[in-house]
Amino acid sequence: MNIARQLTKLPYQNVRRTFYRKFSVSSITNDSVEATQPKVQEEKFDFEDLKVFERPEKRHAKIEPFMKNVFLSKFNRDLMAYPEILTKDDSTDLDNRIALLEKTFCNKNSTLDDRKNALKQIHMYAATVSVTKHGLAANSTELIRYLEVIAADLDLGQRISDHWVALSALKEGLSEDNYTSVIDELISGNDTISICIKEKLSDRLAQGDFRTAATMNEKGEWRISGEKICINQTGYILLLALTDGSRLKAFLIQPGAEGVLLKDNFVTFHNTPATPLDMATESTLSHTLGINRLYTATLCRSSLQQATQACIDYVRPRFFNGKPLSELSTIRYTIGEAILYTYACESVEYFTAGLLDGYLEPDVELEVAMCRNFIAHHAQRILLKLLAIPGVEKQKDCLRLLENMRSLSLRGENVEDVNSFIALRGVHHASRTMADEVKKIRNPVMNPSFIFKKVLANRHQEKDEPKLDLHLYEHLHPTLKPASDNLEYCVKRMRFVCETLMGRHGLEVASAFTELNRLAEAATEIYVMAAVLSRASRSYCIGVRHAENEMKLAACFVQNSKDSVRKLLLEIVEGEYLNLDHFRVQFGRKVLDSTDSFVEKPTARVFW
Amino acid sequence: MANFFRTILRQRPTNLLIKRWETTEKRVIVHDPFDNKPKKNKESYLQVIKIFEGRDQRRRGHVEFIYAALGRMKEFGVHRDLEVYKALIEVLPKGKFIPTNIFQAEFMHYPKQQQCAVDLLEQMENNGVMPDIEMEQMLLNTYGRRGIPLRKYWRMMYWMPKFKNLSPWFLPDKLPDDTLELAKLAIQRITSVDPDTKISIWQTEEIEAALDKTWVVSGQSRLQQLLLAKQPIDEPLVIKGPYNVYLRDQNVTYFTLLGKIRDEEKDNTDWDDVSKIEKPIGIPGFIGKTTLPSIKCTVHEQDDGTVLAICATGSSSRDSLLSWIRLLEKHDNPVLANVPVIFTLIAPATDISLLEKHPTVQDDDNIDRAG
Repeated sequence: MNIARQLTKLPYQNVRRTFYRKFSVSSITNDSVEATQPKVQEEKFDFEDLKVFERPEKRHAKIEPFMKNVFLSKFNRDLMAYPEILTKDDSTDLDNRIALLEKTFCNKNSTLDDRKNALKQIHMYAATVSVTKHGLAANSTELIRYLEVIAADLDLGQRISDHWVALSALKEGLSEDNYTSVIDELISGNDTISICIKEKLSDRLAQGDFRTAATMNEKGEWRISGEKICINQTGYILLLALTDGSRLKAFLIQPGAEGVLLKDNFVTFHNTPATPLDMATESTLSHTLGINRLYTATLCRSSLQQATQACIDYVRPRFFNGKPLSELSTIRYTIGEAILYTYACESVEYFTAGLLDGYLEPDVELEVAMCRNFIAHHAQRILLKLLAIPGVEKQKDCLRLLENMRSLSLRGENVEDVNSFIALRGVHHASRTMADEVKKIRNPVMNPSFIFKKVLANRHQEKDEPKLDLHLYEHLHPTLKPASDNLEYCVKRMRFVCETLMGRHGLEVASAFTELNRLAEAATEIYVMAAVLSRASRSYCIGVRHAENEMKLAACFVQNSKDSVRKLLLEIVEGEYLNLDHFRVQFGRKVLDSTDSFVEKPTARVFW
Repeated sequence: MANFFRTILRQRPTNLLIKRWETTEKRVIVHDPFDNKPKKNKESYLQVIKIFEGRDQRRRGHVEFIYAALGRMKEFGVHRDLEVYKALIEVLPKGKFIPTNIFQAEFMHYPKQQQCAVDLLEQMENNGVMPDIEMEQMLLNTYGRRGIPLRKYWRMMYWMPKFKNLSPWFLPDKLPDDTLELAKLAIQRITSVDPDTKISIWQTEEIEAALDKTWVVSGQSRLQQLLLAKQPIDEPLVIKGPYNVYLRDQNVTYFTLLGKIRDEEKDNTDWDDVSKIEKPIGIPGFIGKTTLPSIKCTVHEQDDGTVLAICATGSSSRDSLLSWIRLLEKHDNPVLANVPVIFTLIAPATDISLLEKHPTVQDDDNIDRAG
């Protein structure tokens, strides 16, 4: 405990802070009204069959979106208490199922059929379906836990996560009758649903970016024509198509439907009959299908864990220079880093799942996307370091691990796409509050007094020393005070950075991709920092085994992330010339725009 | 008698002096060794220099010889050849012109000879010939490091390498002699504005009706093809030209196929109002817009029209241009079968440097309709 305290303590504490901490009245700053909000309990009953009860759900009242508000430097301090979703009974049931799953999935000799049968027996194919429809009605926290075990077979993990997401989409999109008619077949596990949204990039200028179209024929049936990218084609297909030229609608295609042709990673539809998900609007689809990002994060993390384990297995029996190889500090460092990021990702996944399960109408699209991007961004880098330890000795295993990670981090979309979504969504949210201010900032001559006030108000931010008045430490274990100050610093910077960004670009901020990318990365790190701190604090406070390790991991992670967030945000504030974006973009443009070489070889001479 | 005195009085002494000087000048018989060479090429030029070097141990009149040789360079086609310039410097005696004390160094030792070398370097500079390190050594051996030619040389070596590759359009040191290759380089240079441009070389023989059998170098990008396909069918396209493009001193003529410009999109967006930022859809994997991409404000849409294609032909004749239009139609531009094309050739076609065999029509200011 003392070690943890030493580690988390900043080496210096200045007088002002000590003074402030001693004399600040925490009860004034602590908003106790929100903390004691009543819990809303919902119980659903199926009155047709009173013997089967729907699983009860305990949810808090609806809260404002968490990370979107961080773009405005608003932080919901109640969320610093790590979510605890499962009741004792739920937890016991979960542990029992996990034990059954592990029996098959941790057994290296089990075949694919064994694993599929295990999934069927434990009703994994019906995990998201309600109890009245013979499902498990599992919440996101449980699903992630299941997926962690299933991810031992990554292919199966991807399939089942697609299946879960598609089932939720069907529930929202199909009418009750249609849903009842297809659900029995779907939960049997004979055929899973694969999701096909992404399309090939257009290779002709006159083509639209999204081309798969659905038309209704004279009999009133929907027919699909187009081409989609589909990695794991299995039975049913849930796809997105254009109707009436511009509206998006989801469709379900039955296995063995006419006109479906699978070639390599592409599936082509030619006048294929499909069932429309009429009741699912674009925003519902975005929310439901977006959950797949959370599962991608879990799969990615599991893949990193597998690589770490492979590395540990390689290192343990080997020797170097008359000593065990495991004594080499660089190897320890690499494995330690992998553990650090695995811990962070795990925290943020369960934190997000807690938001999904614990509140009414959760708005977590940003948080889910952040989970995915955090691990997809870091895991590739760490994996390469890990795989450098066996070097070229285990070529085949390494290639497999590398390919797994590559395909997972590109699953459905790439990191840049998700980053621009995160940043744009955040900026969009911030712009609704800050539109007037930004307009005045962009027209300084018309608003001199405002500009004068703004300069005064931003004087701390300009010096990169924002006033820390969120008092996040009050919601954490006292030893995490320095770490929570770091988090607070990052949160407080966000509004200023958004303001600067919008003031600089105006409406064109939507196309300032290099800066948006940084903003998204910074926001992602902030989210993970919050999740890690609250998890470590919870574990330490309730005395979870190895909690002291968690405290150290949290302190390390936050310190490290703060530096990177600080750098990212500072680079945005500095602008494209100081952060050298302009020049990099110009180099790229020159290379792409000319067929000539960009520079000559170093042996080239102008004269002899 | 009166006339005689008048003449005497009119004559001013200075004029007399000049007269005398002129007469003495005329008495010098200048032998021009370059004159009687039947073959005027580098080999014979170097031969003359060799003969001059071998004729006299003292190399008398070497300054005059160098000036004469410099004047004849273009005639022999060696004015861009560094080796020849070096051979001329080699003519100058080594060591004699190097100053040995500060007074010599300060008051321009052997001014005529130094000026001669400076003039030689000047001619090199004018012709874009860059000296090399060996030349510095030769000049050092002749004039020493205090010599004016050396200063000239060092200045040249500071600036010339900087200017040599300043042009964004690279050309080989020696331009090709073949006009087709030259035309290809020219069209490549013009179309480098769009990296997607495809340059095709066609023979007009492909078109049966073609009278003028020659080649056509045509450049068109996929974007231009699309712009051409979107042209209104009732409005004629225009072939404009000939325009000149220079590849060093070589002139290539080219023609453009111009179409109509589309109206500019009116944009009344208030760029300061950030509350109108579009909300991203956020469905994983769904990117881009569902509508067709906007292709307004492409680089091909200029003030005087939309450049739809560009070409140079072997003869630059109107018939070859007509064949070009037919060839374009044949190669992925079917819309040209229906759209009328107008020729507005602004200069007489006889000036065209790429003329091969067909002296073309003179009535170029007239407007002619084809298609």
